[in-house]
Amino acid sequence: MVDRPLDEAELVERARRGDLEAWETLVRTYQGIAFRTAYLLAGNAADAEEAAQDGFVKAQRALGRFRRGSPLRPWLLRIVANEARNRRRSAGRRERLALHAAAEIRPGGAVPSPEAAFVAREDQERLLAAVEQLPAGHRDAIACRYFLELSVEETAAALGVRRGTVKSRLARALAQLREDLEEDT
Amino acid sequence: MSSLEQRLQALGRELAFPPEPDLAVGSRSAARPFPWRWVALAAAVVALATAFAVPSARTSILRFFHIQGATVERVETLPPAQERSSAGGLGRRVSVREAERFLGFRLLLPPLAAEPPAYLLDGVLATVILRVDGHPVLLSEYAARDLGLLKKSVGDKTLVEPVRLAGEPGLWVQGPPHTLTYFSASGEFRQRTVKIQGNVLLWTHGPVTVRIEGRISKAQALRLARRIS
Repeated sequence: MVDRPLDEAELVERARRGDLEAWETLVRTYQGIAFRTAYLLAGNAADAEEAAQDGFVKAQRALGRFRRGSPLRPWLLRIVANEARNRRRSAGRRERLALHAAAEIRPGGAVPSPEAAFVAREDQERLLAAVEQLPAGHRDAIACRYFLELSVEETAAALGVRRGTVKSRLARALAQLREDLEEDT
Repeated sequence: MSSLEQRLQALGRELAFPPEPDLAVGSRSAARPFPWRWVALAAAVVALATAFAVPSARTSILRFFHIQGATVERVETLPPAQERSSAGGLGRRVSVREAERFLGFRLLLPPLAAEPPAYLLDGVLATVILRVDGHPVLLSEYAARDLGLLKKSVGDKTLVEPVRLAGEPGLWVQGPPHTLTYFSASGEFRQRTVKIQGNVLLWTHGPVTVRIEGRISKAQALRLARRIS
């Protein structure tokens, strides 16, 4: 007989009862997106790792208050992102996005011509620079929603704002980006 | 989705993020008290057995001192370690209250005119920087249940003396640079080795292990410790 993998609700229930393996499975499932979210918000890897680590510790302690049947991912992202924002705030700095396009061509991707690769890279750098120029709230919304591909609900949870605020920030940010990129060309 | 949104999404897939840390192993430390006594005992037994069983190892670990949550071992050769400034590598800056919330116990502090900031390392070890006769001194505290094992390695020119503070055991470590390594309660998710230039007083206060580190004399360290205990 082959054991079927546990679904998230079962894992959460087990973790609530103190099953550490269940909790570790959940952490491993979400640590990637949690760390990347923390990195975008905190602005450096050390703070992001601490924020994610502390966030998961707090989440584990708060599992008893987690509403059964709710998706775990936005709840975890809210806690980790809050830790990351606190670090950025306490450091008193406005971090740049601290991102750059990967230098390597991804495995499996079609290999572009050198000219096409150069144009694509320039295009990416210009777009990233334009995002960088946005006000912090707008920039974070763009980063969470598009770079991390979080849903509007998850973006709201990560930024600690309402869904409507996320939507309005995204709309304004996209309009600003269109304007900036047109001016560039 | 507009073409701009598609471009942003495509850009996101091309961005370089730092490697993702494995956070799962660290989550165990928050969940249950770790049997540190057994770890320390096992470490001591293994090391002692090794020291006496293998001729080449006999010279590597010369003597053990142990108090709750901390082991000092005398070795012939110190492990490679990073230099650490007083404020460097202490963790993130938080308020004393926030540190206490994380640690689950009240920090032991001497009477102070103003509350100093605390530094929290991996959510298990808090440090505040005090001044003793004008010199910076680190006061670090952790619960042995949270930090698996703190190991100090000293060379043959370093003095290690047992002391007692308010009836509880402690150790005074004085002399040339020695190293400090700590392991998380899971025994695997953190291991850092730093070189300590000052003298160190280690002692226990109930479940809490306290350490003072700085360029201070034994008398100064004991005086400060008595104000804290």
